[in-house]
Amino acid sequence: MGAGLDPDDLGMIADALDRVLGDAPLEAIDHAGGQGEAADALWAILEENGYPSLCVGEAHGGADAGLCDISMLARLAARHALALPLVDTALARGLLSAAGAEPPTRRIALRDPTDPDLPVAHAVQCDAVLSLDNGRLRLLAMEAASLHPEHGAEDGAARFEDNVAAEIAGVAIPDWLTARSFHALAAFTRAAAMAGAMQGALDLTLAYTSEREQFGRPLSKFQAIQHHLADIACETAAASAAVEMAGDALAADPQIGAATFDDIAIAKVRCGEAAGRVAAAAHQAHGAMGFTYEYKLGRFTRRLWQWQDEFGSAQQWSQVIGNAVLDADDPALWPIISRPI
Amino acid sequence: MFEFPRLQFDDQADALRGEVRAFLAQERAEGGFEPRADAWVSAVDPEFSRKLGERGWLGMTWPKRYGGQARPFAHRYVVTEELLAAGAPVAAHWIADRQTGSHILKYGTEEQKSTILPRIAAGECFTAIGMSEPQAGSDLAAITTSARRTDTGWTLSGRKIWSTGAHFAHYMIVLARTSPAEGRNRQVGLSQFLVDLSLPGVDISGIRDLGGTPHFNETLFTDVELPADALLGTEGDGWAQCMSELALERSGPERFLTSLIVLERALGLIARHRDDRRAGQIGSILANLRVLRRMSLGIALRLEGGEAPATEAAVVKEMGNRLENAIIEQVRAMLAGIPRGEWPDGLAKLLREAILHLPSNTLRGGTTEILRGIIARQMGMR
Ligand SMILES: Cc1cc2nc3c(=O)[nH]c(=O)nc-3n(C[C@H](O)[C@H](O)[C@H](O)COP(=O)(O)OP(=O)(O)OC[C@H]3O[C@@H](n4cnc5c(N)ncnc54)[C@H](O)[C@@H]3O)c2cc1C
Repeated sequence: MGAGLDPDDLGMIADALDRVLGDAPLEAIDHAGGQGEAADALWAILEENGYPSLCVGEAHGGADAGLCDISMLARLAARHALALPLVDTALARGLLSAAGAEPPTRRIALRDPTDPDLPVAHAVQCDAVLSLDNGRLRLLAMEAASLHPEHGAEDGAARFEDNVAAEIAGVAIPDWLTARSFHALAAFTRAAAMAGAMQGALDLTLAYTSEREQFGRPLSKFQAIQHHLADIACETAAASAAVEMAGDALAADPQIGAATFDDIAIAKVRCGEAAGRVAAAAHQAHGAMGFTYEYKLGRFTRRLWQWQDEFGSAQQWSQVIGNAVLDADDPALWPIISRPI
Repeated sequence: MFEFPRLQFDDQADALRGEVRAFLAQERAEGGFEPRADAWVSAVDPEFSRKLGERGWLGMTWPKRYGGQARPFAHRYVVTEELLAAGAPVAAHWIADRQTGSHILKYGTEEQKSTILPRIAAGECFTAIGMSEPQAGSDLAAITTSARRTDTGWTLSGRKIWSTGAHFAHYMIVLARTSPAEGRNRQVGLSQFLVDLSLPGVDISGIRDLGGTPHFNETLFTDVELPADALLGTEGDGWAQCMSELALERSGPERFLTSLIVLERALGLIARHRDDRRAGQIGSILANLRVLRRMSLGIALRLEGGEAPATEAAVVKEMGNRLENAIIEQVRAMLAGIPRGEWPDGLAKLLREAILHLPSNTLRGGTTEILRGIIARQMGMR
């Protein structure tokens, strides 16, 4: 498991993915919830270009990127409001490969190891789910019969009953890969996805408020609206910085030592907090149009709210790092705040 | 949209951090200072400033020939953030080291640089900012203080207000009108002057702040005769010069680290009364502070590269101000219900001082409303 690709190489991969997603029809990106022919065709293109295998080792035919690089996928996918399970599949395949198993070319969802009863994101779109229990990574077959879709959830999230699920692959985990680090890596993908969706909401709100007119002038002329946008921009910038900080920590320390774990937790906390403010301000600036199912804003905000909760909410992660601070004999924040970034 | 590159500390920065911590521990042990909230404006101690100067910890990034250490911005950042986190009495030199010195380095004449910078670096020369006036706060271009050319230099007349530390400062950078506005464009015709506050005609009267502390001042300039070389930078470029100063003023760790000392003091007590609610509040504060620090360090890197990232500085200050206030609010919430008899020494005083400083965070250095306007304009809204 590597330190991440060279920034120029990663940038080229990102630009190419940006184009693929930008060119894809809405039907494929989002409208059918990541299912159906158009979505399948898009998935085939993603697969052809190797994106779901970004973090798979060379020996297993992947691009050999670090798990830190998955934030690039997550940000771009979210910014384009992609419904497909690209990010979760990439993490699952990367983990399997890191554990020494050749990952199959399936669409793979992730099961939260801290609470197996939580709904599995993207479950309905996937044919396998990665689970970590009893010291093993297990890839389980997922069939419609074992799924209970969550009402009103995005992207086919469903609760999964595993009592009849067949194990497709199983592998002992390396020492560093614990339920805790699995959970943290999944949380990192959600932090990055939130940063991407916030950028999407910011761009959309800027465009909308400069076009829509009331009282004879564009909404963007009103100071109250400008302040909403400034707020969105600040929070989005903070979310980005938080994801970059965690990504840098992960690149330098791919096996997730204590400080890296903290920075990933910090990213999930900060992005989760920002997501709430950004979603509220963006909706306020949009008026009733933003409250419709069809209009684009919901594609970002519905997911922001869902990602806030997936793999540990801001509150849960805050408690994790806060309790660690308070556990020390002589508790102090400054030694943690002032760590290298 | 905004750029906050990653600043990485080198080994020397880590060593320096150790030195600063050792120095602070020793000073505290010897009774050299009592940690204060909002220390960069509230804790004035010229003797302490001189000690920092002796160690080469002021003007660190300036060339050696002006008394500096020619060290990277990251090293200065380490020193300043450690001092703030410790609540050390840094107010005497803060503005000179952060802002005025670097500003003189950028715009000053050789004479100004070689006479003033070494004294600032030694912790012996303090400065104040003379921008605001009674009728010109957020609307800075409305200032009426004026300077007229004379045979020997300039005559300065007018009134500045809210200048932090002018009562002990040696110099003030004064923004004054040197020629009339051109119609609606009031940003032309402004110039900056480096004014020796001991000159005849300068009359400084103190204003106590909300907590009763002498802090800022009103300064009256009655036909003050300035030498020709009091002009700082270029005549008529005062507005642009001021704006470049603001990136230095708004992006540093003092915009988000000054309430932390209160929480640190309370932390052991909170640990003894821990529950998930309190742990969650601590975790959230930690996350917010660490992310803002990363952003602020990114600005330091860009400043070092010669840029003046004014919008990014506004972003850091806007969020930092909000956070400073939220930290104190949360500390109060965490302390609620804990018997007063268990509070550690000094906590109540620190907290009270911090509370009384809160309203200033979102005003000084540009109000929240003005900062949001800057950010929105950068995104093309106007
Ligand atoms: C503790 C402290 C230290 C200071 N130190 C210095 C110093 O050393 N040197 C110096 O020169 N100045 C200093 N100042 C002054 C500071 O820069 C001003 O307070 C600030 O620029 C605001 O100006 P004002 O106080 O006149 O408020 P005003 O400009 O009158 O503003 C009052 C309110 O109206 C809002 N407002 C004003 N204009 C607009 C607008 N266009 N749109 C929306 N809202 C608006 C403001 O945001 C604020 O909420 C200091 C201030 C404080 C509180």
